Amino acid sequence: MKLAVVDYAILAIYFGFVLGIGWRLKSKISTSGDFLTSGRSVPVWITSLAFLSANLGAQELVGMSGQGAKYGIMTAHFYWVGAIPAMIFVGLFMMPFYWASRARSVPEYLKLRFDEKTRALNALAFAVMTVFSSGISMYALGLLLHLILGWSFTTSVLCSAAIVLAYTFLGGLTSAIYNEVLQFFLIVMGFSPLAIMAVMKAGGWSGMAARLKTMTLPNGMNGDVMTHSWKYIAHTNQNPMGIEIFGLVAGLGFVLSFGYWCTNFLVIQRAMAANSASAARRTPVIAALPKMLLPFIIIVPGIAALALSQMALGYVLPMKDALTPDYDQVLTTLMAKFYPAGMLGIGLTGLMASFMSGMAGNVTAFNTVFTYDIYQAYIRPGKADHHYLTVAKVTTVAGVALSICCAYVAQHYNSIMDLLQLVFGFVNAPLFGTFVLGMFWKRTTGHGAFSGLLSGMLAAAATHGCTMAEGKGGWIVTLHTFPSTMAQNFWVAIVAFTVCTAVTIVVSLASKPRPESELTGLVYGFTELKHDEGVAWYKRPVPLAIAIGAVALFLNFWFA
Amino acid sequence: MLDLRVPTGFYFSIVGVILVAMGVFAPSERAALTDSNVNLYCGLVMLAFGLGMLGLSRLSKHEDS
Repeated sequence: MKLAVVDYAILAIYFGFVLGIGWRLKSKISTSGDFLTSGRSVPVWITSLAFLSANLGAQELVGMSGQGAKYGIMTAHFYWVGAIPAMIFVGLFMMPFYWASRARSVPEYLKLRFDEKTRALNALAFAVMTVFSSGISMYALGLLLHLILGWSFTTSVLCSAAIVLAYTFLGGLTSAIYNEVLQFFLIVMGFSPLAIMAVMKAGGWSGMAARLKTMTLPNGMNGDVMTHSWKYIAHTNQNPMGIEIFGLVAGLGFVLSFGYWCTNFLVIQRAMAANSASAARRTPVIAALPKMLLPFIIIVPGIAALALSQMALGYVLPMKDALTPDYDQVLTTLMAKFYPAGMLGIGLTGLMASFMSGMAGNVTAFNTVFTYDIYQAYIRPGKADHHYLTVAKVTTVAGVALSICCAYVAQHYNSIMDLLQLVFGFVNAPLFGTFVLGMFWKRTTGHGAFSGLLSGMLAAAATHGCTMAEGKGGWIVTLHTFPSTMAQNFWVAIVAFTVCTAVTIVVSLASKPRPESELTGLVYGFTELKHDEGVAWYKRPVPLAIAIGAVALFLNFWFA
Repeated sequence: MLDLRVPTGFYFSIVGVILVAMGVFAPSERAALTDSNVNLYCGLVMLAFGLGMLGLSRLSKHEDS
């Protein structure tokens, strides 16, 4: 892929704008903390788009289009079964609660609700997750630089690490929310033309379906499975994801999705910046509407790519080696085939922008958690403020260095989304169990939460160690082989969540409960929740949620 | 608070103008798998979106004062 001067110009203009917004905002708000806590004045359409955009990283763009080519329209389950119900749940049930308890981070909530050891364990797990997440982005950005500039992978990864460091130190995060909205529009306008052109070239949806029906997939299945999301779900050996309905609904729809959306404060914080409790509740619900349409711009091009590769047009799927396709490159190779100089610049700007904000967000989360929840809490408490500031800077550099290592791990997976969901299974799945019990069951104790969380993570490791999928896992003994890494991920999550919940309940019942007077604002039933009456229906979360849920249901039936 | 519609509007207007200019002055610039003037059409959409954003922010400023 070769870039023209105009492409570089478009890239440069975007980064000029990002720095400009940061500079303008810096003179108006003194700290980023201001923005998220006392600020609370951002209009609901901005918080909704930022809420969506904080999750819509380049990982999702590159990863989900790759998944489209690998698993077909079943990938849309990540949205129509996974994200949408979880987002509606977060809006209706979790937001009022977060708003009332005013916890600023997950470790902070765990400390208030349980105890120090639970907080420390979660802080460690969270730190590992952010490093992996930024490492995966770094790998994908390195891949992109490699493709455009022809540098070696190592040079490209080191270069993308340098870009992230510069971006983080320049204070790019003060304006994170604003940039995320700009980035959202850039992604929609930069990628929907690609989706439209790729699908039209492949003969429209029906043409694509007909073309795929006559082909045999790399795994020997008939291509018809690529255009039906529910038809082949009855048995694991009928669909490319290798999952049956229980694993899908429980693993993806419940544990992974609810775990991700309920406990990911990077995303939750966006809603907390809204100007009222009601607006905070509506934020995830409103964001669910554009979210459920994203498969059409992200996943469908991946499926189209597979159809196009059958058409003797000169388009072939990118390959990692002779046998394994390199799904992470599906999106970029499509862009190179459909976009002329100019529009190509827009697409690349969208990708680069979301890589960078995704990485910067994770690196900053890593340094916050390490500096305040680990270093200040346990290693060196009670030092002067500037000491922690220095530590935070050193931590940022260390976080980037660790991310580079993870970028090399990501290289061994043929789709970054497979690795990302595995990490979520280790960290978010048990955490979700702890959270739900802590919030809704007053009897949950600190000892219970800690042992549940720890055994949940160990159970995830044991499941991964004892099962095999596409050559991954099985580092203890191979007791079972999954047809795909995604199926393995779903089951890792299910086991982790179940074990965490069971152990938490048993240990809680055996240990001394906390007095109810200490649980105000931390547990449902001890928290005063405000209800909004007498406002128009479209300003109330519940009717909105019903309307949006109905649309998601319709999409599920339409593409079944 | 900075009105986000202003920078968004400016950014997409500028990019839209660049793309439309590409579409008009370099119409032979085509990608391998398409015959349509992608830059021109996408540029027009972005320009319209950018101007729309700027218009909206002018409108709400008008209402405030």
